[in-house]
Amino acid sequence: MSSNAADRTPPRPGFWTGDRVAGIALIVAAAALAFETRVLPLGSLGRPGPGYAPLLYAVILGVLGAGIAARRGGTPLGAIRWGEARHALMILLACGFAALAIERLGFRLTMLALVAFLLGVVERRPALPTALVSLGLSFGCYFVFWTLLRVPLPTGPFGL
Amino acid sequence: MRHRLQALATCAAFLLLPWLPALAQTYPDHPIQMIVPFPPGGVADLAGRPVAAAMEKTLKQPIVVQNRAGAGGAVGMAAAASAKPDGYTILVALSSISIIPEADKLFDRKPAYTLDQLAPIALLSADPTVLVVKSDAPWKSAKDFVEDAKKRPDTIAFASSGVYGTLHMAMAMFAAAADIKLRHVPFTGGGPALTALLGNNVQALASGPGPVAAQIKAGALRPLATWGNKRLEAFPDVPTFIELGYKDVEFYIWAGMFAPKGTPEPAMKALRDATRAAVKDPDFVETMKKLESPVTYMDAPEFQKFWDADAARLAKALVKIGRVQ
Amino acid sequence: MIDTLNSLALGFSVALQPAVLFYAVLGCVVGTLVGVLPGLGPLAGISLLLPLTYGLTPTTAIVLLAGIYYGAMYGGSTTSILMRIPGEAASVITCVDGHAMTLKGRAGAALAIAALGSFVAGTLSVVALMLLAPPLASFALRFGPPEYVALLLLGFILLSYMSSGPMVNTLAMAALGLILGTVGIDLLSGFHRFTYGVTDLADGLGIVPVAVGLFGLSEILLTAGGDTPPSVYKPKLRELVPSREELKASISPCLRGSVLGFLIGIIPGSAHIISSFVSYGVEKRISKHPERFGHGAVEGVAGPESANNAAASGAFVPMLALGLPSGPIPAVLLAALMIHGVAPGPLLMEQHPDLVWGFIASMYIGNLVLLILNLPLVGIFVNVLRIPYSYLYPTIVVFCVLGVYAVNSSVVDVWIMLATGAVGYGLRKFEFDMAPAVLGMILSPIFEMSLGQSLAMSGGSYGIFLDRPIALTMLIMVLALLGLSLRDALKRQRGGWRTGAGLDA
Repeated sequence: MSSNAADRTPPRPGFWTGDRVAGIALIVAAAALAFETRVLPLGSLGRPGPGYAPLLYAVILGVLGAGIAARRGGTPLGAIRWGEARHALMILLACGFAALAIERLGFRLTMLALVAFLLGVVERRPALPTALVSLGLSFGCYFVFWTLLRVPLPTGPFGL
Repeated sequence: MRHRLQALATCAAFLLLPWLPALAQTYPDHPIQMIVPFPPGGVADLAGRPVAAAMEKTLKQPIVVQNRAGAGGAVGMAAAASAKPDGYTILVALSSISIIPEADKLFDRKPAYTLDQLAPIALLSADPTVLVVKSDAPWKSAKDFVEDAKKRPDTIAFASSGVYGTLHMAMAMFAAAADIKLRHVPFTGGGPALTALLGNNVQALASGPGPVAAQIKAGALRPLATWGNKRLEAFPDVPTFIELGYKDVEFYIWAGMFAPKGTPEPAMKALRDATRAAVKDPDFVETMKKLESPVTYMDAPEFQKFWDADAARLAKALVKIGRVQ
Repeated sequence: MIDTLNSLALGFSVALQPAVLFYAVLGCVVGTLVGVLPGLGPLAGISLLLPLTYGLTPTTAIVLLAGIYYGAMYGGSTTSILMRIPGEAASVITCVDGHAMTLKGRAGAALAIAALGSFVAGTLSVVALMLLAPPLASFALRFGPPEYVALLLLGFILLSYMSSGPMVNTLAMAALGLILGTVGIDLLSGFHRFTYGVTDLADGLGIVPVAVGLFGLSEILLTAGGDTPPSVYKPKLRELVPSREELKASISPCLRGSVLGFLIGIIPGSAHIISSFVSYGVEKRISKHPERFGHGAVEGVAGPESANNAAASGAFVPMLALGLPSGPIPAVLLAALMIHGVAPGPLLMEQHPDLVWGFIASMYIGNLVLLILNLPLVGIFVNVLRIPYSYLYPTIVVFCVLGVYAVNSSVVDVWIMLATGAVGYGLRKFEFDMAPAVLGMILSPIFEMSLGQSLAMSGGSYGIFLDRPIALTMLIMVLALLGLSLRDALKRQRGGWRTGAGLDA
């Protein structure tokens, strides 16, 4: 997309560019995956076994990762900003809670807590809109999807 | 309108439900999932869907058929075996249900599931498999086929529903008895295997009579022999392998319904009753007849005995065939 | 030809049934909405409504779900043009010139051109789909495992050759996707791979949780907590009329985009995304005034917006004719068909003409509905974006969890979405594109299985790929593309096709 990248001469990036880090991460992932395929029979070239394809893909991934890591130029690592990382972590935590809770607390209570947490704690919205939106979303979705559309959704204590 | 009322009723029932003691008496109170471990178009699917439709009439809840194909049916069977035993998951499987755990044993690997994880509900159909080839193939009879296969070993390819699936077992039994070597090309189920045969990508296929009946009548396929102990009503001219002198080559592809073991007794009873009513349902009988797969119904106790005997027989045949790919 | 017309008449008789019509319109409305909402793409929309289709007939189910797909292609352009936020990945490139037009006060015209272009391309490509799918289907029985292997290879290479960003990155993501696709019981041998005793994984990773995670959730993770809320420009109705020059300048890009998009759509790949980039590149390449691009060139809106719509229809060709999922959305549509016992594959058109032709006819109607929906109602849809993002994104998170959970009632799926969302977030921070990963995952089982089957057919000889003319042709194309990309990479010449199209950063 950024065809204007050619116009400006990039500042000399240090050794640790985004590509370098990503490439090395991919190599590590590929090595771990290749190691995990050890329990599967490899088969032969003419008769690939169940371990053949995963190992092949892992090797390809490793080679490509090396290619990415070896590439010159690219964004210096310091230029990648992580301003939203705290939010991202909070959202992931909230989703993790939802996964743990949905079949124990039921859909409505879980979503109520999820939305209330995101709005009230993470975004620091005022209490009234937070309460209204979280109640509306959790009970509204439940009404539309289970009551009207009969998509099975879990219920928790007190039938909530 | 009926739907709306139903929805309203469910909604009302639902609002009341929390005030009743846990696990209200009304089984089933929401849709039931029926796992068919093969893609649409195979024997299990062709038997499962009409019986689901017929059972809905008794159970008054939709039965949602889910095709979860792969590894000769092991994927879907394992999913059903480990499902929550609440009566809302049932399985329609084929004879291969007994073979797969045995094959896992043969390869010294952790079985995908074990037979005691499943409780039988009913047997729905049992048909011998049929050996079919394209009608433009050079072989006019099973004898031609065997002679040609002997002349050029490991060149004629056959399709199957997966390694150690029903269609593979049938063919392997025949190949072992006739002392021929064929190329095995596994697919995810009988449906794709049939497509491969029609597309000339393989040359032969052992199939349940249902999926191929229409193609045989249309002249696209030619039946060479069947695996039954007597000739099929639909194809009276087609000899059995036993008639042709292969004494032990007898194989039935049967479809049965199962639930995960531990499903509550009231739910099991409701399912058995619904199946019993379903196999008498005129629509169902008519559909199965159209598919050339007459209903062979057995209730749970009887079916369990049949299943045990069949499993023992297949286990023995499997040992004889041994490890293949 | 007469056959086609007869079939089409049958199709319209199905598509005009009130129930089918209702679901077609519903699909288009939902599609436009999810297209407008950033982070909620057509896939999330489809997965949300998938459980609802269990109770419908197969025809209404597929009409509804497909409506969401091509509806999103319309909706995605709206936010791109007005706010420089792509509502949908296929509209990323529209941001460039579409938003530039907004800044120049031509937002209405850009919206109108996008909608008109989408309509023309959508309609033209349905005609092409109608004419092409039946002959292809009769040809499709000859499509055996070796042909699938060659076709999928071609798809991967074409995807990486044409997507934005360096080719190694795209291929690396495809390889990652291929590995994800091997999770579960091996279809050929029955071995458990990477399941670690989790029974839900025996069936493999689901398309919906992975795709919602990689596309939807990662998008939210990237954008939530962004510094400033986007400002919304509200277009006025009378501004919607493009000038005569704008219309004239749009006609050929629109037609070119339709053809390009449709052709790219047929090859497995994230066609609607790639095609918009390719179309943009081509328009820029052949324009007499390439310097106008990036500063509000109407061709830069007309071309890509036509292309992504045409590609959406083109992707239905392999789906209807071969039963081959050419991307995540056709894959979910195929799954929806399977739920109803309709076996996708070469015999589909023969066995279910009412479904196939009803579907095709409903796409004509749907495109018309979308044109009506998009032109005057654009202002209303945009209002959704006036909701502050801090309220909007928790809503989208709820929909993601709900949609993923409801498909299989599986908590494991929610965890998968969570994990892939986190991984996708990290990779996107390092400028990796997620589309090839999802595609790799979907095609992985088909690819591996077809390779195994091909080798079983030939008794272990790779010569089978050279013996079969269709497979050989496709493999030669793969080699040619590889050669081209190697040449580009070695020479790093600025005049290469990829640099010309602005695909190499």
